[in-house]
Amino acid sequence: MKKPKIAFFDFACCEGCQLQVANMGEGVLDVLAAFDVVEWREVMSEKWDKKYDVAIIEGSITDNHAVERITKIRKKANILIAYGSCATIGGVNGMKNNFELDDIRKYVYGESYKFFPTELTKAVHQVVKVDYFVNGCPVYIPEFVAILKAVLQGIPYYVPDYAVCVECKLNENICMYDKGVTCLGPVTRAGCNSWCINNGNICYGCRGMLSNPNEKSARDVLAKYNIPIELIINKMNMYNKCREII
Amino acid sequence: MEENQYVVLKKELFNDFITRLAGIKKLVAPVSKGFKNFAYEEVSSGEQIALKYIPTILPAKKYFMPQNETLLEFNTGKKSNVEAFVEYEPVTLFGLHTCDIAGIQCLNMALSERPKDYNYLSRKNFITIIGLECNEYCDEFASCHLVNADFPSGGYDLMFTDAGEYFIVHINTESGEEIVTNTEIFNKAETFHLNELIKIRENKRKIFSNEVPIERRHIPELFDRSFRSNVWKEVGERCLSCGNCTNVCPTCYCFDIRDELDLDMKHGRRYRVWDSCQLEPFAKVAGGFNFRKERFVRQRHRYYRKFRYPVDKFSRFFCTGCGRCTRTCMANISLKETLSQLVRESEDRVWKRWL
Amino acid sequence: MEKMALKYSSYKSEKAEIVDIKKLTENEKLFRVVLKNKGSLDHEPGQFVMVSLYGIGEIPISVCSSPMISDYFELCVRAVGKVTRSMHKLKKGDEIGIRGPYGKGFPVRILEGNDLLIIAGGLGLAPLRSLITYVLDNRRDFGKVHLLFGCKEPKDMLFSDELEQWNKRTDMHYSCTVDRASPDWAGNVGVITTLIPGVDIEPSKTFAAIVGPPVMYNFVIKELIAKGIPEQNILLSFERNMKCGNGKCGRCQIQNLYCCQDGPVFNYEQIKNLSEAI
Repeated sequence: MKKPKIAFFDFACCEGCQLQVANMGEGVLDVLAAFDVVEWREVMSEKWDKKYDVAIIEGSITDNHAVERITKIRKKANILIAYGSCATIGGVNGMKNNFELDDIRKYVYGESYKFFPTELTKAVHQVVKVDYFVNGCPVYIPEFVAILKAVLQGIPYYVPDYAVCVECKLNENICMYDKGVTCLGPVTRAGCNSWCINNGNICYGCRGMLSNPNEKSARDVLAKYNIPIELIINKMNMYNKCREII
Repeated sequence: MEENQYVVLKKELFNDFITRLAGIKKLVAPVSKGFKNFAYEEVSSGEQIALKYIPTILPAKKYFMPQNETLLEFNTGKKSNVEAFVEYEPVTLFGLHTCDIAGIQCLNMALSERPKDYNYLSRKNFITIIGLECNEYCDEFASCHLVNADFPSGGYDLMFTDAGEYFIVHINTESGEEIVTNTEIFNKAETFHLNELIKIRENKRKIFSNEVPIERRHIPELFDRSFRSNVWKEVGERCLSCGNCTNVCPTCYCFDIRDELDLDMKHGRRYRVWDSCQLEPFAKVAGGFNFRKERFVRQRHRYYRKFRYPVDKFSRFFCTGCGRCTRTCMANISLKETLSQLVRESEDRVWKRWL
Repeated sequence: MEKMALKYSSYKSEKAEIVDIKKLTENEKLFRVVLKNKGSLDHEPGQFVMVSLYGIGEIPISVCSSPMISDYFELCVRAVGKVTRSMHKLKKGDEIGIRGPYGKGFPVRILEGNDLLIIAGGLGLAPLRSLITYVLDNRRDFGKVHLLFGCKEPKDMLFSDELEQWNKRTDMHYSCTVDRASPDWAGNVGVITTLIPGVDIEPSKTFAAIVGPPVMYNFVIKELIAKGIPEQNILLSFERNMKCGNGKCGRCQIQNLYCCQDGPVFNYEQIKNLSEAI
C-alpha cells in the first residue's frame, strides 16, 4: 500500500495542536512511518502543489482570504480533517463574534481598520465539508492517533456523543462540583479521557457541546449549586460561541 | 456458629497484618481521596487504609471486569491469526462492605449464565475477597437492608467484624484459611468473642431497617404495577444522561466491544469497555433508529434491571443498596426517593379504587 | 496485568471465506460464505451470526439461506454502518470471522402442517428468505404459502430473480407492492397492509411471519388480528444493536428479554405487552 500524502495547514490558531504532534515523542515515528508528510509549515519548508490524500486543518476561518484558501485546499484534498477546537468548533477565536465586527476591527487595528476586512469566526465545517473531527484544545493525542488509524482503514470515526462525566467517573476523579468548583464536563462531548480533570483542572468545554443536552435539568443542577446560568453560558462561549452560526 | 470458623485479630496488630497480607500478593483497599470520596487502590501498609469509609467512587467490579479488557488479539491480512486471551492480576481485596460483596455475587450469577463469560470466570479465581462488616449505616443514601445486603451472606473468603479492641474474623473458604495460617497473626476465637459477635449483630438489627416504606417481598409487584407510572417521567426530566449511576453501580455489567489496530495496520486487538444504558447511543441501530431514545425510558430500564427483571432470572435484586447512584447523581435522582414515590403513587391508586 | 490464552472464549470466531459476492441493489450485497475448519453452520431459519472484520468490528447479520444447504450460507448486507460499509469493499476470497448461529429462529417444526403468511418489508426479506427457501425445500410439509413483499421503490427490490421464480411457482402465492412506483412499474402501489385482506387463508391454521422496519409491525399486526390469526401464531423478528450475542452486553434488551438469546424471533403474544418491543 502506498503511503497516503498528508499535509498540515494552519488558519487562525496558536499552532499548539500541531505542536502536540511534535511533542508525541517516539510515537511520532509510527505516525511518520504510516504517512508521507508533504507539507507542514511548522516543521518543514517544502511545499506540495499536487493533490493531498489527507489535509489536516488547524485553526478557524476568520476572513475572506481564509475562505478562499480553505476552499482551494478542500478541492485538492481527498480527506479533510478539522484539527483542534479552533477548526472543529471555532474555539477561542469565536469570542470575536461577541462583538460588532467594526468595533472589534477598530479595537485591533485602530484608525486603519478599513484595510483589514474580517468576517464572523467560523469552524471549518461551517465553510467546507469536513471528513474527520479531532476535537480539543489542544487535541488529545491518543484520539488523534485513533482517527489517523480510521483514515488509513477508510472507516468513519464517531466522536462520542456523551458527557465528559462518563470518562471522568471511570477515572475515579472527585467530581469538581463536590469540590465546589464549576465544570463544563456534564455538557461537553467526551473523547479526551477527561484529561483536564485527571490533572486537577476543570473542563472548559473545548470539545463542543453534546448534541442533545438536557438543558432544563442542567439549569436545575446549577441552581442547586447556586451557580448563575450566565456564568456557565459565558464559560461555554469561551470555546463554543460559533455554535450559534447555522 | 462454629468456633473453629472464627479467629480474632487484635487492633494493635492490624498494621502488621496488612503488611504481611501485602507481601502475599497485590493488596487493594479503600483509600481516602478527600471531599468525602474514597477509592479502592493498591496499598502496602495499614495507615493507608480508610477503615471507616462510605462506598468508594467505583465499586470492586473494576477488578473483576476491567474497564478496558482485551478479548482477542489478531493479525490482519491473508493469513489472519486470532487468539483469545484473558487478562488477569492476582489480587487481594481488603475491606469490602457487604453491599459490594453482594454486587460481586450478582456479577458472578449474570456472567456464569450460559453462554458463559470465560474472561470473567477465569479472572475471578485470581481474586481474594476480605470483607469488612458495617456496624452502622455509612450515610443516608444507603438502602442495604431493603435489598437484604446489610449482613454478611457469603461471597467472601474472610469477613472482618469490628468489635472495638479487636476484629472477629469469619473464615469462609479454604483460601481464607490459608491467609490466616500464612500471616500467623490471628488468635483462636473464644466463646465470649462469638457472644460479642452475636451482640453486635443484634444491635445491628435495631439500627438497620427498611429504608423505603415497603416490604422486600412486595417490590416485584410494585414494579409490575408501576411500568407506566408518572414517576419515570419526572426522573427522566431530571436525568442528564451522564451515565454516572450505571458506571458506579456494583451490578451493572453492560459493555461495548471495539476493535483497534496498530498504526502498521497489521496487528490489532478486540477489547470490551464499560458502557451504559443511560447514554443516548446505547440502543441505537446502524440505520439510526433508537429503541430507547427518551431519557425516562432509559432510567426506567435501569430501575427494572435492578428490581424486577433479575428477580425472575436469578431470584434476587440486582441492587445492593450501596447508594452510589444517588450519591453520584448531579441531578439528585435518588433511588430511595424514586422507590418511595412509586410506593406512594401505588397506594394512592389503591385508595382511589376503593373510594 | 498478566495474560493467559483462553481455550474457550465466547468471543472467538471461526475462520470463514467469502466465496461469492452478488450485488443485489445499490445498497445491498449478497455474500456467500464457507466456514474453513468446520462443516455446516447448522442454523435454523431466522437465526443470526456475528460477523467479524478484524480491526473494524463485529456485527449481527441474519442468515438468509436455507438450512438445507450445508456447504455454505449466505448473508445479505446493507451498507449503513462502519462494518457493513467496509464489508461491501471486501472481495471474493477474503476472510472474515463468524460466530454463531445465535438466537431462536422460526419454529419450523411447529409451523409444519399449517398455512404460512410471510410478510417482508424491505431488508426484512433477508432473514425471511431462509424461512422461505427452507419451506420450499420441504414444500409438502406445509399448507398454503403466501409471500407478501413491500419495499420503497422497484429498484430497491432484493432477490428479484428469486422473487420472479417464486412468482411463477404454482405452490406459492406471491404479491408485492412499492411505496413509490417508477414509470415502468405495473404492480401494486401502497403500503404492505393493503395486501393482507386479499390473502385467501384459513386464519385458525395459519402462522404469519413478519420482518421489516420497526414502523411496519404495528400496522401489519393489527391487520392480521383483524383477519383472525391467533396472537401466538404471529411471529416477528426484531432488529437490535448487539455486541456480544451472549445475552450480556445489554444492548438488545427488550425489557427482560434479550433479543440475541430469547429472540430475535418472538411470537406476538410473548411481546405484545412489552412497551419497548414494537
